[in-house]
Amino acid sequence: MVVQMENKITSFVNSEDVDRPVLINVEDTNIYYGDNHAVKHVNMPIHERSITALIGPSGCGKSTFIRTINRMNDLIPSARCEGKIDYHGINILSPKVDVVKLRTEIGMVFQQPNPFPKSISENIQLPLKFAGIHNKKTLRDVTEKCLKQVGLWEEVKDRLDRSATGLSGGQQQRLCIARALALKPDVILLDEPTSALDPVSSAKIEELLLQLKKDYTIVIVTHNMQQAARIADYTAFFYQGELVEFGTTKTLFTMPEKKSTSDYICGRFG
Amino acid sequence: MNSKVTNRIALSLIVLCAVIMVSTLAALLGYILVKGLTNISWHFLTSESSAFMAGGGIKDQLWNSFYVLIITMILTIPIGTSGGIYLAEYARPGKLTSFIRSCVEVLASLPSIVVGMFGMLIFVNYFGFKFSVLSGALALTVFNLPVIVRVTEDGFRALPLHQKEGGLALGLTHWHTIKTILLPEAFPSILTGIILSAGRVFGESAALLFTAGMSTPNLDFTNWNPASPNSPLNLFRSAETLSVHIWAVNTSGIIPDIQAVANGSSAVLVICVLMFNLLARAVGKMINQKLSGR
Repeated sequence: MVVQMENKITSFVNSEDVDRPVLINVEDTNIYYGDNHAVKHVNMPIHERSITALIGPSGCGKSTFIRTINRMNDLIPSARCEGKIDYHGINILSPKVDVVKLRTEIGMVFQQPNPFPKSISENIQLPLKFAGIHNKKTLRDVTEKCLKQVGLWEEVKDRLDRSATGLSGGQQQRLCIARALALKPDVILLDEPTSALDPVSSAKIEELLLQLKKDYTIVIVTHNMQQAARIADYTAFFYQGELVEFGTTKTLFTMPEKKSTSDYICGRFG
Repeated sequence: MNSKVTNRIALSLIVLCAVIMVSTLAALLGYILVKGLTNISWHFLTSESSAFMAGGGIKDQLWNSFYVLIITMILTIPIGTSGGIYLAEYARPGKLTSFIRSCVEVLASLPSIVVGMFGMLIFVNYFGFKFSVLSGALALTVFNLPVIVRVTEDGFRALPLHQKEGGLALGLTHWHTIKTILLPEAFPSILTGIILSAGRVFGESAALLFTAGMSTPNLDFTNWNPASPNSPLNLFRSAETLSVHIWAVNTSGIIPDIQAVANGSSAVLVICVLMFNLLARAVGKMINQKLSGR
């Protein structure tokens, strides 16, 4: 199936969901690591209930950028952001923002599946319990719903109390997505979610994302152009810290405006 | 000289060092156990020590060793783990942090006799705790605190960053992430470190000579009221521990069976410390297996 999908890149048409309203607007955002100017003057919209892919060669700043959208870069002492990321009228980058609350609305899934070494159900219930939900039935219902959303329910329903670290890599990653869904966020950020997985698991995750975009706004970093072409409605091409080009996936892949975009897409570098 | 020969020489040197180390340890343990085990009997473990006559036991000393250890751990574990968590998770790199860290290192490398003198001046004299369980435990706290801080900090630093990111990305606060995700994961290594340090505290003598004292009142093991002067639980009575007892018997004892008592006590001490080490391994392994879900 994956191979088939890859062959379809050039004929890929995904225009049904374009021109959704803008949920997050990035305005002239700069990110520094100490003196290193890692992301330069980025302006781009993120459209509601669609998939936006960030592509580009390693070190182009795409991961740095996505980690700024829910302020995960706060963990790095030398990181510093300037500019504005507008979300429901507030600037995400403002020091006044309650990052803990922000992250319940803008969730994140990482490259390496990182389930907690606890049981499968505890993995999903941990954020719920922190949010003050202690009703056992609610917890069970949400667990079941989230696991069904990611297509993991049938595989794990008989061993919910077993450790999540016993799952396969692909299952772990779907559990991490289910965990991020538990709090019903608006936006899900995924930082190369399939790069540590085998092709079959990757394809499952891609299908899942296409399902999820009906209800969620999805931003995904990927080094895999075919993946962006397969699932994204919008694609942003980053190169050397700059946003070279942003557009609908169809336009970007079929009629790129900049030469470096077409060079990258055609595999001439990166 | 070709590389094969160099390889052989390096290997034989390493093996030689390992053999020297293992045989020293085996000889030492063997000597202590062979000499001591014959002196250990139920009577020896459960009777009071005698000042003049032969046939005294180590009941009180054994109890004191465990009691001082428990009090020390009650004092050290909360402070030490909190300090370690602070250094690993909250302290921002800077002058203050590196100052705190070097303080911990200096504290860890203080000779225990110096800690004992300090304990005597501060706890025994200044605070007026006299030679007591409490003074001894406080001195051992000074001695043990840096170890626990270090063990905790290392335990947290060894955790993969993506676990912390996972917690924070789910909208948990930093503290809640530490409490529910990082601490349980670091727990096996912290616990192993704590048990190993317990072995060290258990065998410590120099820091206790001038703080817990070299005598024990006649303990009444039926009286568990901590306020009564001859209760085993009394914090303000003097308490000669097992290792101090070995030293005291050897240097100033006037009992006729000095050799037997010293050998027997040493064997008991070594067996206890060995048990702490084995326990640390077993518990660490058990929790690890439980956590990884096998």
